[in-house]
Amino acid sequence: MEKEQFEITMIEYLTGELTPEGRSDFEEYLNNYPEQKAEFDSLQQTWGKMDEAIVPETSEAMDVRFFDMLHTAETQNAKRSNSFVENLSSFLSLLWRPQVAYGILLVAIGLGTGYFMNTNRTEVDTPNTVVVNNETEEVREQLVLTLLDQPSANQRLQGVNEANKIGKVDEKVIKALLQTLNNDANVNVRLAAIEALVNYVDKPIVREGLIQAIGHQESPIVQVTLADLMVALQEKKSIEPFKELMRSKELDTSVKEKLESSIQQII
Amino acid sequence: MQSLTDNALMLKVKSGDLDKLGLLYERHKKRLFGFFYNMNSNASVSEDLVQNVFVRMLKYKHTFTGDGTFTAWMFKTARNVNYDHYRKNKVAFHQKEVSEMEYKLQDSTDTEKGIIAKDKLSMLQQAMEYLAPEKREILVLSKLKEMKFSEIAEVLGCSEGNAKVKAHRALKDLRTVFLQLEKR
Repeated sequence: MEKEQFEITMIEYLTGELTPEGRSDFEEYLNNYPEQKAEFDSLQQTWGKMDEAIVPETSEAMDVRFFDMLHTAETQNAKRSNSFVENLSSFLSLLWRPQVAYGILLVAIGLGTGYFMNTNRTEVDTPNTVVVNNETEEVREQLVLTLLDQPSANQRLQGVNEANKIGKVDEKVIKALLQTLNNDANVNVRLAAIEALVNYVDKPIVREGLIQAIGHQESPIVQVTLADLMVALQEKKSIEPFKELMRSKELDTSVKEKLESSIQQII
Repeated sequence: MQSLTDNALMLKVKSGDLDKLGLLYERHKKRLFGFFYNMNSNASVSEDLVQNVFVRMLKYKHTFTGDGTFTAWMFKTARNVNYDHYRKNKVAFHQKEVSEMEYKLQDSTDTEKGIIAKDKLSMLQQAMEYLAPEKREILVLSKLKEMKFSEIAEVLGCSEGNAKVKAHRALKDLRTVFLQLEKR
């Protein structure tokens, strides 16, 4: 048996951790090795002496101190678990104290006053903004009217685009746009005018103007665009102008077919 | 019955049922006191240290997982308490040098004091005082009833085999001290 294994087995034997078979094996081993048997005997004696250790009894005072400590810990533990409820109730009870109540009241008054003063200021400010907005719109309308009168198609296109930016157009601009749609020499400007007018189709004057414009159009692309728009608007009043247009001899065949299908869709 | 095992009780303490620590105290106070008393031969200090172990067990109850045995966890705490106590009080674990023994005996007054002390302390206690603290500790732990080496290894933070070898060598040292004491 190796030295370390011998040491381990001996301690196991002394502490009683060896199985009965292990014990008899070890005893047999010791009988075969007298030197190690002597070593074992000597250590077993020392091990036995350790049993002589006299440990006094513990005092009652130790028990008293322990249970005092445990009681304190239990009380603290109970307090901690109730602390949430307590915190809440103490916060609520705090609210009932006059100082806090007055404080809250003052804050509420301050907030209220601030709110009303702020509201007043907004009311004063709003007309100014409206006035400023109105002024801008007026300037833009003037700009649109001026640009639509320009000889350059490019500028007239710019005018139509400006018209798109106006929030609330007045009749003057609509009439100018309809006039552009009916009379402008450039197809692109006329198409742009249709696109601009689409924004205001909820106005009867716009719808009326668009229907009347059908008869004035000679460009196939504008005719088709108007036909598509009328289908989208399901405008029944447009059927008669379209039929009239179809009767004209110069009409492109494909446009004629398109108008026929559009009329069918509107009906 | 399973709910009354040490581990089950300590898990209850961990979950907030602190009352169960009382039962654990009753079960283990003697063993703990014995451990400390064999380490320092001072009953009053040992009682304080037992108290400290339970205070610390309450404080660190969240570290008890229930994976190992409660006894191992408790003695690990006890070992730390013992170590901290001596460090705090700056009292070195008093390990007397064996060579000191003969030197002291040359002085007659010391011899007298030695005899008086010898009356108070048993031969074993005297012998233990000459052992290094870690050797004293492993012998005390291995003498504790119902303490297996697997648990001792857990307390000491080493392998089971290592713990057995350490115990064997500490026992050999104790034998040497006994022999020298007997020669006096």
